[in-house]
Amino acid sequence: MNILELLQPQSILIPLSGNDKVGVISSLIDGLAAAGSVTDKELYKNAVLTRETTGSTGIGFGVAIPHGKSAGVTRPGLAFAKLASPVDWDSLDGEPVKAVFMIAVPESAAGNEHLQILIALSRKLIDSEFRDKLMAVSDSEALTSLLATI
Amino acid sequence: MQTRTVTIVNEAGFHIRPAQLVSEKASAYESTILIKPEGTTNEANAKSILNLMTLGLAKGAVVHIEAEGSDEQEAVDAISQLVESGFGEA
Repeated sequence: MNILELLQPQSILIPLSGNDKVGVISSLIDGLAAAGSVTDKELYKNAVLTRETTGSTGIGFGVAIPHGKSAGVTRPGLAFAKLASPVDWDSLDGEPVKAVFMIAVPESAAGNEHLQILIALSRKLIDSEFRDKLMAVSDSEALTSLLATI
Repeated sequence: MQTRTVTIVNEAGFHIRPAQLVSEKASAYESTILIKPEGTTNEANAKSILNLMTLGLAKGAVVHIEAEGSDEQEAVDAISQLVESGFGEA
């Protein structure tokens, strides 16, 4: 799984000013729509917010990975936001979120594509050096080169 | 040391929420708890959500749950039960 192929320039938001979780999610969905991954924003947003109600996607370390599988998605996509100021995400470790990866997968996707994306992301995030660099990215070029090198 | 072998039964596999639930449960025990997928050399610390997510276990995957410490029996029982319950998912 090459996550760089899923990450379009339109869906990289650095920095993003969002007041709360829902606001951040909405902005990321706009990015995924601009990138051509999400075609029905409301439908996809419902899937993402429903998922959040089953347990926060804030995995700790200041990172959240909201995600949804929905008929509102035409092709798999990944969005990233580096938040201008930390946002509360009901995270596992209680810490506010500073960086968000959002995963969009079509309803019809065969097998476990979302799982493959998640594995690829978590293998990077597990590295504390990667996380430190992620929190310091200042533009989309810095993000893509970081994702490419590690 | 206590070991048990279990199979991932929920349709969506071992994504964020199962990893969260296992790490929360595992953190309640003093024992060192490892999850080792069968047929690989991978292993994950059951107390680390990111560690667990990197395993990318799909439905049907077989894992060995290994615990070592003062509460190893309880720990293996609890984690096995959680995995076999399918995390409350279909």
